[in-house]
Formats: sequence, C-alpha cells, structure tokens
Amino acid sequence: MTEASAPAPEGRPPLRIRWALAFVVFAVFFAVNAWLQPSLLTARVLASNLTSFLPLVLVAIGQTYVVLAGDIDLSAGAIIALVNVSVVSLIEQAGGSGGAIALGLAAGIALGILCGLLNGLLVAVLRLQAIVTTFATSIVFGGIALWILPQAGGSVPQAYWRGYAGGLGPVKLTVILFLVALGTAILCSRMRWYRHLLAIGGNRLGAFQSGLAVTRQRVISYVLCGLFAALAALCLVGETASADPLLGPSFTLTSISAVVLGGTALAGGRGGVIGSILGALTLGLINNIVFFAKLPYVTQDLVKGLIILAALAGGILGARR
Amino acid sequence: MSLLVAENIRKAFGSTLALDGASLTVEPGQVHGLIGSNGCGKSTLCKIAAGSVGADEGRLRFDGREGFFGTPAAAAAAGIAVFYQELSLIPDLDVAENIALGHEPRRRGMVDGAAIHREGARLLARFGSAGGKGLTPGALVRDLSADQRQIAEICKILARAPKLVIFDEATSSLDGDQVQIFFEIVRALREAGTGIIFISHRMDELFAICDRITVMRDGRTEATLPVAGTDREAVLTLMVGSALATRHRDEAPPRPGAPVLEVAGLSNAVLRDVSFTLHEGEILGLGGLHGQGQSAVLRAIFGADPATGSVRLGGTSQDRRSPAAAIRAGLGYVSGDRGVNGVFLDRPILENMAIASLSKSRAAVFRPRAFVERVGEIVARLNLRFAGYDFPLRTLSGGNQQKVVIARWLATGPRVLLLDDPTKGIDVEAKADLYAIIDELAAEGVAILLHSSEDEELLTTAHRVLVFGSGRIRADLAGEALTPTALYRAAYEVSAA
Amino acid sequence: MRLLRNPLVLAGLAILALLAIGEAVAPGFAGAGQLRSQFVIAAMLGVIAAGQNLVILAGREGIDLSVGAMLGLGALVAGNVMNGDNAMILAGLGAAVAVTGAFGLLNGLGITILRIPPLVMTLGMAGVIQGLLIILTSGRPSGRAAPALTRFIIDPLVVGIPGLVFVWAGLALLLIWFLRRSRAGLNIYAIGTNQEAARLSGVPVTATRILVFALSGAFSGITGFLILGYTQSVFIGVGNAYVLPSIIAVVIGGTPLSGGTGGYTGTIAGAILLTLLQSLLNAMAIEPFGRQIIFGVVLIGLMLIYGRQDRLRT
Repeated sequence: MTEASAPAPEGRPPLRIRWALAFVVFAVFFAVNAWLQPSLLTARVLASNLTSFLPLVLVAIGQTYVVLAGDIDLSAGAIIALVNVSVVSLIEQAGGSGGAIALGLAAGIALGILCGLLNGLLVAVLRLQAIVTTFATSIVFGGIALWILPQAGGSVPQAYWRGYAGGLGPVKLTVILFLVALGTAILCSRMRWYRHLLAIGGNRLGAFQSGLAVTRQRVISYVLCGLFAALAALCLVGETASADPLLGPSFTLTSISAVVLGGTALAGGRGGVIGSILGALTLGLINNIVFFAKLPYVTQDLVKGLIILAALAGGILGARR
Repeated sequence: MSLLVAENIRKAFGSTLALDGASLTVEPGQVHGLIGSNGCGKSTLCKIAAGSVGADEGRLRFDGREGFFGTPAAAAAAGIAVFYQELSLIPDLDVAENIALGHEPRRRGMVDGAAIHREGARLLARFGSAGGKGLTPGALVRDLSADQRQIAEICKILARAPKLVIFDEATSSLDGDQVQIFFEIVRALREAGTGIIFISHRMDELFAICDRITVMRDGRTEATLPVAGTDREAVLTLMVGSALATRHRDEAPPRPGAPVLEVAGLSNAVLRDVSFTLHEGEILGLGGLHGQGQSAVLRAIFGADPATGSVRLGGTSQDRRSPAAAIRAGLGYVSGDRGVNGVFLDRPILENMAIASLSKSRAAVFRPRAFVERVGEIVARLNLRFAGYDFPLRTLSGGNQQKVVIARWLATGPRVLLLDDPTKGIDVEAKADLYAIIDELAAEGVAILLHSSEDEELLTTAHRVLVFGSGRIRADLAGEALTPTALYRAAYEVSAA
Repeated sequence: MRLLRNPLVLAGLAILALLAIGEAVAPGFAGAGQLRSQFVIAAMLGVIAAGQNLVILAGREGIDLSVGAMLGLGALVAGNVMNGDNAMILAGLGAAVAVTGAFGLLNGLGITILRIPPLVMTLGMAGVIQGLLIILTSGRPSGRAAPALTRFIIDPLVVGIPGLVFVWAGLALLLIWFLRRSRAGLNIYAIGTNQEAARLSGVPVTATRILVFALSGAFSGITGFLILGYTQSVFIGVGNAYVLPSIIAVVIGGTPLSGGTGGYTGTIAGAILLTLLQSLLNAMAIEPFGRQIIFGVVLIGLMLIYGRQDRLRT
C-alpha cells in the first residue's frame, strides 16, 4: 500500500478525564466533612478513614468492570461473605501459623475468582439474564457461607490483624493497599482488554463485528469482580479479626451506587474505575458527614438517603452535559 | 488465483429467503462493484463473507483457504475488512481508539495511546480538511456527524491493511470532495494489490471506480460485467429485469379531488424545504434512491420526527405534531421496518389491530367483541387469514404481519395513509393484496402517500411520483412524463443520453 | 415439548411436583391445613409482585427495588391510621395506598422526566424511604392492626379459606382484567414490546411509564397493609425480604426482565412456586444453609430453561 506522503501531524492522546464530575462531587463532600470534622485533615484520621472505606473501594472497582461491559453483578456481596468465612475457617483449621495465613489468603483469592468465573459462564456463555442470575448465585454463595459458619464468630491469629493494622515505617498498610489498588486500576485502564470492555459495553454488535472476543471479555469482567470482592473480604477479616457471614450482602447495592456515583453508565460502555473509587470514597464521606453533623440520630438515615439520591441524580444529569 | 470465490450461497432469515444462488468472484488488485435494488441481498452476501452472518448452503474460498468464517474475528485475521452500512464504531471511544480497536499497539504491555493517536492522525490526514471541523483523532465518535463517522470507519479499515475490503455504502453520507478523496484511497489500495468490493447505489460512482460490476436481483447473481465493455443502460436493464417492460397505470389521473394534505417548507436533519399537495383519492408516490428523504418526509408529517415548516390537513394547520395528534387528525402510518416501527410480535393479533383505534377514541376500556365485529370486514378485504385473533402476531408470515398493521390503521378510518415502503421484505402474493387495497382505498377517497423502494411498484400504483435526492424533491413526474426511464434517470442521476 | 416451553405450564408442573415431593417427605405437606397457610404467605408475595410485574412488563430496564421500603411505609401508615380501631380499616388501607402510590409516582417522574435509570432511582428511593421510616418510628414499631383485619386475614372465611386469599384472588382478577381489557393495560404491553411502534400508534409512553411505577408503589402499600394485618405489628425492615423474591416470582412466572410479554397469571404461579419451594425446603429438615443453596440452584435451573438471551451471530 502506498503510504500518504503528507507528513503525519503529531498525534497526542487527548487528556479526557472521565471522572472529573465524580471528583468535583468528592471534593465538595470532602470539604463539608473537613468543615464538620476539622481533625479529618490529620494524617491519622485520613488513614483510618481510608481503612474503613477500603473494602467498598475494592468491590466498587470490581463491579465497575462488569458494569462497563454492560452487565451487573448482584452477587459481589455474597462473594465477600463466602470468602470472609472461608478464609477465617481455613486459617483456624490449618493451625493459625504463618503458613496457614498464607494458605488462607491464597484460597480466599482463588475462591473469589472461581465464583466470578461461575457468574461469567452463566451470564456470558449460557446467556442468562445478568440481574436474576447473579442474584441466584448470590443465594447459593450466601448459603455456602452459612454452611461453613452459621453465625458470626471465629478468629484469625494475631499476626493477621496486627499485620493488617501495621505498616511500612510510618505509612499504614491499608494506605499502601489503597494506593496499590488505585495504581493497578490506572494501569489496567491502559490495557488492551480494558478498551475492549468499553467497546463491548458501548456497542456489543459493533465490537463483535470488529473481531473482539465478546464472550471471553465478559467472563473476564466477572472474574475480576470476584477477585476484587475476595480482596475486600480479606480486608474485612483484617479489620474485624473474625468472620461474619452476614457482613457481605450490603456491599452489593452500595457498590452499584458507588459505580453510578462515579459516572459509569449502568447501560455500559461509559465511565471508568477511577470514578468508582471516588464514588466509593464519597459514599464513605457521606456517612461521616451525617454522623458529624450531629443530626438527631433518627434523621440520619433519611438525610443520608436524600444526599445519596440527590448525588446519584445529579451525577447522571451532569454526565449528560 | 482469485482472491475471493463465493458460490451458490443460500441464506434464509426465518421464512424470508435473503439469498438463493448468490455468487461472487473477486480478483486481487481490482475494484469489484456490486449493485442491485434494496433488499436484493448485497449486504447479506458481504456479511457472510465477513463471518458475521452464517450461511445455510454454498461454498466460500478466500485467499486459498476453503470454508466459511465462523466469526468476524476469524475473517479479520484472514485479511477481510468490512465497512458496515450501520457502522461498527463505539460511541464512547474516540476516533483513534476506534481505528485501532482490536489491534491496539502496545508498549510494555500497556496500550500505547501516543502511537494510537499518531496512527489515527496519519490516516485521518489522508482526508485533509475534507473531514470538516471536529474530526480529530481525539474526538469522541458520539460527537461526530454522519459523514465524519463514515470517514472514521473507512480509516478503521485502512489501519488493518487487509487483503480484501468490502465497502458497503461507504459513500452514502459523503459529499463530492470527500468522495474524490475516498476514490484516491481506493485506487491506492488497488495499486497495492488489495481486492475491493464496492457497493453503491450511485451509478456514476460505480462507473468511475470499478473494474467489474456484478448485478444482483432477488437474492441471486444476475451477471458480472467488465466496466469497459458495458454501459449504464445495460446495468439498469439487468437490475430491474422485467420492470422496464411494465407500464405505469393505465387510468388517467383521478379527477382532481379537494386538497387534503398541504405540506410547505418542511425541513429537518434530512429534509430540505419540501413542499407538495396531496389530493383526495390521489396516490402520490415518493421515489428515488434509498434514504434520500422519502421516509423522513412521512415521519415528519406524522409527527414521529421533529421538523420545521407547515403541515395542513383538510385546511387545519397541524402545529403541535406528534403521532397521537396525527392519529386523532385522521392520519395513519405504515412502516416497512415492521420490526422497529410497527409490530408487537408477542402480542395477540387483535391487540396489534386495536392499539391505534384505542389511542384515537381514548376509550378507557377495550371491548374485544365490538372491535372484532368492526374489524372483521377489513380483515376480509385484506384477504388476511389467521388461526385466531388471540394468536401472537409472531405466528404470522411477514406479509400477513404487515396486513395486520394495515388493518390497524384502516380500523381508525384515516383520511390520509402514509405508507413508508410497506412491502419491504414481504412475499409477492401479499404485495399484490396490499396494492389492490391501496387502489380501492384511493377510489373511496382516501389520500395516499406511498414511498416504495421498488420503482416498479411506484410505476404500477402511483398517479404521480415525487423523486427525492438529498432531502429535496428532484422531480415531479405525472402522466406522460411518468415513465420507467424517467424515474431511473432521476433516481440514479444518469443524464439523458 | 412445546408445551413445556410455556412458562405457565412449567410453573404449574413444578408446583405439582413440589406438592408431591412434599407429601412424600413430610406427610401432610399437601394437606388442607398446610396449604391454607402456604396460600396466605404466597398471597403477600403475590400482591407485591403484582406491582413489580407491571413495572417489568413496561420494559426499558424497568425494575422497582423500592417495593420493600414502600411495604414498610405502607404498613406503618396503615398501622397508625387504624391503631387497633376496627372502624378505621378502610381508612388505613386508603392512607397506605395514597402515600406509597405518591412515592411510586416520584419514582416514575424521576425515571421519565429526569431520565434516571430505574435501578438507580428506585434504589435511591428505597434509601430515602428507609430513612423516613426511622424518623417516623424513632426506630420502634408503632401502630397496630385492627383486630377485625387480623381475623379476616388469618381465620377461615368460607369453606376454610382465609379472607386474605379472597383478597388476593380479587386483586388478581382485577389486574388480569386490567392488563387484557383496559387501554392502559394494553399500552403497558405495547411499550414493553416495542416502544417505538407504541409511540407511532399514539400510545402515551411517558404517562404509561409513570403509571406503572405509581401502581407498583400502591401495590407495595397494599402488601404492607396486609402484612400488618397478618402479624399485627411490624418492624420497619419487614419489606427488605420481599424485594428480590418479588422480581424472581415475576421472572419464573414467565415475564422476562426485558418486559413486553408474560402477565400476572404466571406471576401468581411464580409466587406460589417460590413459597412452596421455601416451605418444602423447610419441611425437609435440611439445615438453613442447605435450603438456601438448593433454592439458588433451582433458580439457576429455571433460568436455564427459559431465560436465554439471543446470540450475536445470526
């Protein structure tokens, strides 16, 4: 083929910040939080906030991949519950040594991946409706979790939660984990499969005609969601030092709220992981604000509900330009 | 050795046969034109070659490899790239990302954004400034105009350096300058030994760029001709087959009835200042190439799409146009795109017939028995047969489904019927029934606006034909002037010999 | 084989199978006494699923995740209006329906006018109502059902069948009539099957979408009223357990989440099927986790039978 002789103008990828709006919302809530709770701006409070937000941040990252591809995962919370109780039980059974902890961590991650794989196979390969199917698998995962541990209990060795609460020098481990998660998410958004995920969510037929492996990418997105749910579960174990099969489920809908708040369209193809991280942090800040605003206790849930509804609606309207 | 050989391809979608006996041979380093009226199977044949549609029968050989492609990915890997009429662009990726989709260059495992945008800029540069404002590598596809999207899709193909390119209506939204640049690109591809299939409705374009032309009709290959040894008339004759022999309707135009529908200065994204008057009992045909404004004018009159300009029905101005208002004013709209605009496949036949009458009467309660009594006569007139009113519409053939939609509108007692290519994809018998009823309705005084993509139907049915081109009325043909040749010349922009 | 593809037939057969298995595992399972209490439980699910059914039928990713919170709100309003007074039963019902219908209307307006996706809008609304409930009750249950209502719901009314089942039957007939014989009902199917064709046939698309969400709110309110009558007083989170089952009852009853096809007859079967399945698993003396696992697996199995989506390649 004869190449055009005209000198190619220097192409530079444009700076397109898909999470700008989510960042503005986050900044506003952060400012309000700092105003109500001046100690927020100290390193210690910031770090402890980050610690309590971390599990939601992780699930929200995983959920984003599924939503971007045009699907949804209603089993993320149940996967957290299942991994949570499995890891604690396994470590106890294996004797609580350092090796047992390592085994528990690895098994937990593998379990999360396996759950995600099952979802992916049912939804993308067998072509079942995502909402109902992942709800059904959430029932199964939740049931297995109750099987392993009927009620909250168990405990992990000191090394686990001490290690989780510890850090490298002055920097807390959870802060490092957050930064690693953020960094990984940014790196992933520059991978080829991530582009393909956006393409599949944006125009499934067009992506198929462009030769993309639509089914495989959808399965991968569910696997990633399972993986991140498992990581969230491991963090929860570190935070509570015990297991609770009822701890996970509330994360499902909250993670979807975080994703939408972060500017990702539920229809797929539009948005990104960084927005979801900001969305998850914003949800955490809303909790703080309602607490520190010293509202009468009974009004807190309503105010929280109204703020979240307004933020969701505002985000969707804003994203439409 | 030929690059692509497709032989005796057969493909049915449900009960409609899209291809039967379609063959095509493409040589490397040649531009091969593919022409035929709408629905003749050109696009389906190309999709089968590209692996995005499966074939029922036939054989395919590409670049020495025997067999059909199972997925678009397999065809792409073998070296086939397709310009899809409906485009395969992703709205929320930018132009450069779309161009690189599926084969993004990487650096250390990461997508190389800079390389993607350099490559995008290099390919877009071939269109120079003809792409217009806003067509940059970093522009989101959702923000582009129709011609810019086509240019992006063309660049997406060039980036793959394919052995065979299929351009399916790649020029339909491009202006003259853009087409010239596109031709230069096609010639460069030909020089480099690429095989090219070029589908277009514009005869001039085919003769300007092609080496050979294959004519298709009704899902079959009619003939393949070298461009050097043929002319436009010969291709036209092959395309329309027996149609040229058909004469237009014998009766004289009806005695001029009172004007019913007066359209003045109708304009929108597609239409440019369209004005005409439709009379009582008149069948006014809308002709021309596919998508030149025929559907758009019907939809604008019906209030389905926004438009400026005035529409007067029986002397009353229709200012706040919406389908609901149009129905109450006595309009009815039948679309050839039944699947999108007409049918409720899973609903009973009865409901499909009743829905518009309910909207018109605004009755709160639906009385099936009374409605069946009323509609029974219409069903008989339409020669419509089915097992029962409660069966889902899905159980009927395409032709009968369309008759149900016609019954829906006849049940409202319309003064004007807007028919938007109503016989698209339905069988011959149903077509004949539909045209018989159109004649009868006109004789009863109903005014009819008929868009048909088959010129033969316009010639045999309409009293007068408006030929559309680029959203304007190009010609108004009636009486002696309404001849097959005049229609084809106006539509295909062939200047008189 | 073709008959088996009909969701209604399938659900009917599954119900019979469950009864047979139940009778074999725990004699008396299919007996009159047991069935009576099964139907009372199924009726609650059936009524709340009615609203969900309308929302899903109307298509466009229609789903209502706020039905649980609405149920709680309806129960609270009804309980405080009645407050144990038999004369206030109808007033209690009316107040519950008016309030939850109004919140449903808000859902509909947000979804159509502001174009917020139904999942997000109703999820957010659930949070708001849940917060409202806490304020209204200060976290403690308040209000009481009228004793006559409780008797009507639980005690056999005619031939051993409790009044609640008649209420459900009445509502069901009304709804089936509405979907088949009213213009609004036909319009719901029309927009769910093919929104563009509906618009071109003069169907008021926006008004119809708002209507289904308002009706869903109203049905949740009725359910709240009935559950209050059944249990006499309720805690505010009572509705949470009904949200996803209401969707499942609709889907296994043959109305796909994409909308446009199916109807309430199937949903009735779906509600009974779900209730019997739960109760059979209880009767089988399996541990709670085992019941839950089997329940989930059965759901996936049902989805496999008739929940497949189209292929990309034709």
